[in-house]
Amino acid sequence: MATHGEIAIAPHRFAYGYYRQVWWNWLIGTAFFCGGLGAGLFLVSLATGEPVGMIAGWLLVTVGKNTAHLFFLGRPERFWRAAMRPDRSWIARGIWATGFFAVAGFLCFAPHVLGPAWMLSGTAGAAVQWVAAISALFIMFYDGFVMNSSGAIPFWNSALLPLLVLMYASLGGTTLSLLLRAVTGGGQEHMAWLGLQEKWLLVGNAALLGAYLYRMSRWQPAARETVRMLVRGRFAWAFVGLVLAIGLGATLLLTFAAERFRSEWLLPVVAACELTGDFTLLIVWLKSGLFSPQTAPHALNTVSKQEPA
Amino acid sequence: MARLGMVIDLKRCVGCNSCTLSCKQENGTPAGMHFARVVTREVGEYPRTRRTFLPLLCNHCEDAPCEKACPTGATYIRADGIVMVAKEKCIGCRACAVSCPYMNRHFIEEGFLGHGYAGGELSPFEAVKFGAFEEGTMSKCTLCAHRVDEGLEPACVTTCPTEARIFGDWDEPEGKLQKLVRERNGWTLLPECKTRPKVFYLDA
Repeated sequence: MATHGEIAIAPHRFAYGYYRQVWWNWLIGTAFFCGGLGAGLFLVSLATGEPVGMIAGWLLVTVGKNTAHLFFLGRPERFWRAAMRPDRSWIARGIWATGFFAVAGFLCFAPHVLGPAWMLSGTAGAAVQWVAAISALFIMFYDGFVMNSSGAIPFWNSALLPLLVLMYASLGGTTLSLLLRAVTGGGQEHMAWLGLQEKWLLVGNAALLGAYLYRMSRWQPAARETVRMLVRGRFAWAFVGLVLAIGLGATLLLTFAAERFRSEWLLPVVAACELTGDFTLLIVWLKSGLFSPQTAPHALNTVSKQEPA
Repeated sequence: MARLGMVIDLKRCVGCNSCTLSCKQENGTPAGMHFARVVTREVGEYPRTRRTFLPLLCNHCEDAPCEKACPTGATYIRADGIVMVAKEKCIGCRACAVSCPYMNRHFIEEGFLGHGYAGGELSPFEAVKFGAFEEGTMSKCTLCAHRVDEGLEPACVTTCPTEARIFGDWDEPEGKLQKLVRERNGWTLLPECKTRPKVFYLDA
């Protein structure tokens, strides 16, 4: 049983200790993954005028993310109710952003699919592109706010989380954009720039992860216990092995190798490594979340040293 | 308007779990779901050890994070301060469960209401009581709102054999809750979460 000091993970709700987050599972992780990746890919593709990437990103969000959300919900037939309170809930804001993205994103690539009759010109075209870009950007980071608005799980309750989620969405989008260009042969003029962006994002994400863990290792006991589980506890194989070693380390090395040897066949391997790290990060962040022990505030960490009355 | 709440005197609690059982009987919660529970902990070092008990229930927070996190408005706070769930509005997103630092939200999984405590068919009691729940939605302690509306105290309060649970109105300046908390330095769970619980504890 994992422990921090003298506090263990409680095996059930009648026992004292940290309580594991069991509510949000791999389906939420998949929804966050598809949302971030799709919106990131769409945004990169919109900025570089690559319609295949826009379509793939749009499908990842509208089909992948929304399907995972619907499978997760206890009452999926009432999903529309989740949009009712955008003034208070980040989930509701996310629903609205996804709705705007679905419409505006479709209009952005519609001329490439349905013909020039769908082309919006002038102010309307620019407005649609702006709406699509802003809603995509929102989808890239709002998952971080959904998680960090929960003060119940100290490890998530950090202002760095939306930034981390945004950075990973940007990295995933860039990686997938590079892969799509290698496969389709389109948009080759942006390959060098995207390759450079990929490397900087990998370094930036590693630095941000380090800062996050450092901050959390000095935060509340439940957050410290999560850091311990990630670095040398039950999730170390996933976090250190898949997120750090494969998702960041191997991806960076292979990106350099792909450039050095001009071997585009390495790009699918690069994408597989990066996306593995990206997905694993979301899953371990969800699974390693801990609730604080229920005890008197003046007794936390000291109760076991008390003398009997 | 009243602000209903509770004070739990840990000096009186003997960890008998009568509150747990009376809550189950009153609300007819399915197997594995406990609106009220008692966390037991052993403290001290051999040979000077003892057991401590911490009865838990929904804190009916004034700044309830579950109510803020709910995207549909299914979680709401009544005029008397009781935090409720309108099951017909709940979509089962579990955002409230993730945001409650006290782990007092309960999700009713698909098929959860299909079998009773004995494992097979529902007993007549379960068949009636399970009708109050809906699969795929959240449920929680209502502070026995149905009893409170009739002028009764919550079942856990009535049943407690040591009278460790004291139910009342926080808006009464000279009421028993305010008085006890003032006299014995009452505290709440996880004050760092800034949820302003309406359930206070008195030291053992």
